[in-house]
Amino acid sequence: MASVEVTDLVVRFGTVSAVRGVSFSVGPGRSTALLGRNGAGKSTTMRVLAGVVPPTSGTVLVGEHDVALDPLAVKRLVGYCPDVGGLVPRATPWEHLQLSARLRGMRGWERRGRDLLERFDLDGEAHRVTAGFSHGMSRRMSVALAVFHEPAVLLLDEPFDGVDPTGVDATLEAVADARSRGAAVIVSTHLRDLAVAACEEAIVMLGGTAAATIPAADMVGEAGDRAYRALLG
Amino acid sequence: MPTVPSSADLLAATPVTRPLGAVPALVALLRFRLGGRPLRLRIAMGLALLAVLGLTVLAAVVPTQVDLPADLIPQVRLYLPAAVLVFLLTSVVSGVSSGGGRELLPADQAVAFPIGSTTDHLASLLWAPLNLAWLVQAWTLVASAAIVGGRGHLGATVLPMLLWVAAATAVAQAVAWGVEIVRQSPHGVLAVRVVWGVLGGAVLVASLTGRAVTAARALGGSLIAGTSSAGSEGRWGVWLLGCVAIVVLGALAVWGGAWAAGQAARRPPRSQSTVETRVYAARPDTRSDFLAMLRIDRASVWRSAPLRRGIIFLAILPMLVALAGQLRWETIPVLPGLVASGVALLFGVNAWCLDARGTLWRESLPVAPRVALAARTWVMVEMLLVSGIATLVVCSVRAGPPARVEQLLATVVAALVISVRIVASSLRWSVRHPYAMDLRRARATPAPPGVMLGYSARLALTSSVTGLLFSAFGQTLAWSWSVGLGALLLATSAVSLVRTARRWDDPVARAVVTRTVSSL
Repeated sequence: MASVEVTDLVVRFGTVSAVRGVSFSVGPGRSTALLGRNGAGKSTTMRVLAGVVPPTSGTVLVGEHDVALDPLAVKRLVGYCPDVGGLVPRATPWEHLQLSARLRGMRGWERRGRDLLERFDLDGEAHRVTAGFSHGMSRRMSVALAVFHEPAVLLLDEPFDGVDPTGVDATLEAVADARSRGAAVIVSTHLRDLAVAACEEAIVMLGGTAAATIPAADMVGEAGDRAYRALLG
Repeated sequence: MPTVPSSADLLAATPVTRPLGAVPALVALLRFRLGGRPLRLRIAMGLALLAVLGLTVLAAVVPTQVDLPADLIPQVRLYLPAAVLVFLLTSVVSGVSSGGGRELLPADQAVAFPIGSTTDHLASLLWAPLNLAWLVQAWTLVASAAIVGGRGHLGATVLPMLLWVAAATAVAQAVAWGVEIVRQSPHGVLAVRVVWGVLGGAVLVASLTGRAVTAARALGGSLIAGTSSAGSEGRWGVWLLGCVAIVVLGALAVWGGAWAAGQAARRPPRSQSTVETRVYAARPDTRSDFLAMLRIDRASVWRSAPLRRGIIFLAILPMLVALAGQLRWETIPVLPGLVASGVALLFGVNAWCLDARGTLWRESLPVAPRVALAARTWVMVEMLLVSGIATLVVCSVRAGPPARVEQLLATVVAALVISVRIVASSLRWSVRHPYAMDLRRARATPAPPGVMLGYSARLALTSSVTGLLFSAFGQTLAWSWSVGLGALLLATSAVSLVRTARRWDDPVARAVVTRTVSSL
C-alpha cells in the first residue's frame, strides 16, 4: 500500500501563494486530518495530492509517483472527494460510478456500487441526475465515489460539510474501512470533533503553512478546543 | 458626561434599510457588475458602445448618400412591413428560448440581494441588444427606412423605426415572460409546444402560398413602415399619431412585462424540476474510455432543458426561413455557418462549464487529458453537424437543383470548413478564457453578456465571410478552387486545434480552467 510524502510544497496562483512550504507524510493504514480556517491552504494541498493542481515547487510523492511528473499514475492510486460539488450536474450517481469503473478498469463493479449507494442512503436516487441533489446528498455521493475503487490513498476534502448524522457515520465507517485495508487517508476539514473522530493525527494549517502537527487525541474535548484555537491565533 | 455610547446611541447607529425602486436597484446592480473591471476592459466597452452608435448612424445616413439601384427602393418598400414583423418574431424567439431573457446577475449570486422581478425585467430589456442578431436586424430596419425615405426628413423617417425597435423588444420581453408563466404551469410545456407548432405552421402556409407579405401588412407591419414613410413625405399628423402609438405600445409592454415577470418569478421552475427528477435507466458499459467520457458529455447537453431547447430552435428556425423565403444557391453556403455559430454559443465557447463543479472530480479521474478534450470536441461536432446538415438539406430542397454542380460542392465544403473552424475557435476560447457559469437555468449563458456579444460577432463574421467566399467560388470557378480553399482552411483549423490540445496538455493551464469553472 502507498503512502503520501509532501516536502516543501508551494502552490501559487498568480501573485497569491495558497500553500507556502508545507511538509508532512502519511503512511499506509494511517489517517491524518488537515485542520485550519478558511483559506489556510487545505483544499489546495488536497488538489495537489489528487493530481488536479500541479505544485509550483516542492515534491509530492503519492506511492512512488511524483505528482508533478506522473499525475496519471497518481490519479489511479487516489480516491478524491473535492471540497465543492464534485459531481457532474446532469449525470446520475450510477453513471458517475460507471465512468469511474470504466476509467479504472474495474470489472464486476455493480454490486460494490449498489452497496455503497445503499450505505450512503442514495440507493433511491441512483438514476436521477445530481443537479437536483441537496448539498448533503452531493457530499455523500462524492465520498461514495472517492471510496468506490478502494483506493490506496483516500483524500476527503470537507466530507462532513452539511452532511446529516447518518452520512457522517457512513463517512467515518468508510475512513475506518480504508485504514483497515492499509490505505493512507487524509481528511481536510474545519470541524475539529469530526477530524478527531476520523484521524489519528492532525496538521493545523495557517496561512498556507503547517503551523503544527499534533496527535488527534490531544485535540479532544475543551482542552483540545483551547489548544486548537490557540494554534489558529 | 457619558464616555461610552448608550443603547439609544447604538440603536440610532444601526443602518436603516429602505427598499430601492426598480430603476435605482438596476443602476446599483449595473455599478456592481461593471465595478472593479480593469480600465482596459472599461475602455473597450466604451469603444464598443461608440461603435454600435456609430454603425447605427451610418446605417441611417449611408443609404441616403449613395446612388442605389432603381429597383431596390420598391423592393425594400414591399418587404419592409414583413421585416418589421420578423424583427418582433425573432426577438420573441430569442426571449422565449432564453427562458425570459438574460440575467444581469446569475441566479446563484443574485440570491444574496433583494432584487425584485421588475428590476430583473428591466435588466433583461437592457441586455437584449447585446445580441448580434438583434443589432444586425435593427441596423437593417434603420437602413431600410432610410432607403425608402430617401434624402428628405431623414430624422423623421428613422425615428419611428428606432421607436419600433425599442417597442418590439419590450413586447418580445413581455411575451417571453408570458410564455414562462405558461411553461411553468401543469402541462405548460406541451401547451407552449402546440402554440409554437401552430405559429410555425401558419408562417409556413403563408410563405408557401405567397401570402407572407400580405399577412405581414395585415398584422400591422404596414403601420410601422407607413409611419416611417409619413415622416419622409412630411405627413406630420399621421407621423405623430404613429409615433405616439408605438411609444404607448412600448410603455404598455414594459409595464405588462414587469407584471408577467413577477408572475413567472412566483412559479416553481417546473421544466427544470422535471428534468432533474426524471429517472434515467442504466445503460451497458461502454467499450472505450473515450465513449465513456462522450456519454457523460452527451448527457450534459441533452439533459439540459435550455441547451436542448436552444438546439431545437436553431435547427428549426433556418428551416422556416428557408421554406418561407425564395432561397437561392448563392445564399445557402452562409446559412449552415450561422446556425453552427448559434449552436456553439449555447455552450461551446466555454465548453468546460458543462461539468460545472463536477470538473474537479472529472479532472481527478485517471484518463489522459486529450481523451477528455476529444470527447468534448466530438460532442460539439455532433451538434454542429446535426443542425448544419438539417439546414443544408432543407435549404437545398427548397432552392431546387443548382445551376452548376460546383455550387453544391462549394456549399458542402463551406459547411464542413465553417463547422471545423467554429469548433477550433470555441475550444481555443474555452481553454484560454474559462468562466464559472452554471447552465442549469434557462436564462444562463456560457459567458458574461458582453463576452458573448464579442464571441457571436467573431463567429458570425468568420462564417459569413467564409460562406460568401465559397458562394462566389461555386458560381464562377472550377470545383478544384473550392476543394483547394477548403483544404487550406481546414489545415489552419487543424493547426489551431493542435495548439489548443497542446495547451490542454499543460497541467497548469488545465488547473486554471478546472479552478475557474468549478468555482461556482
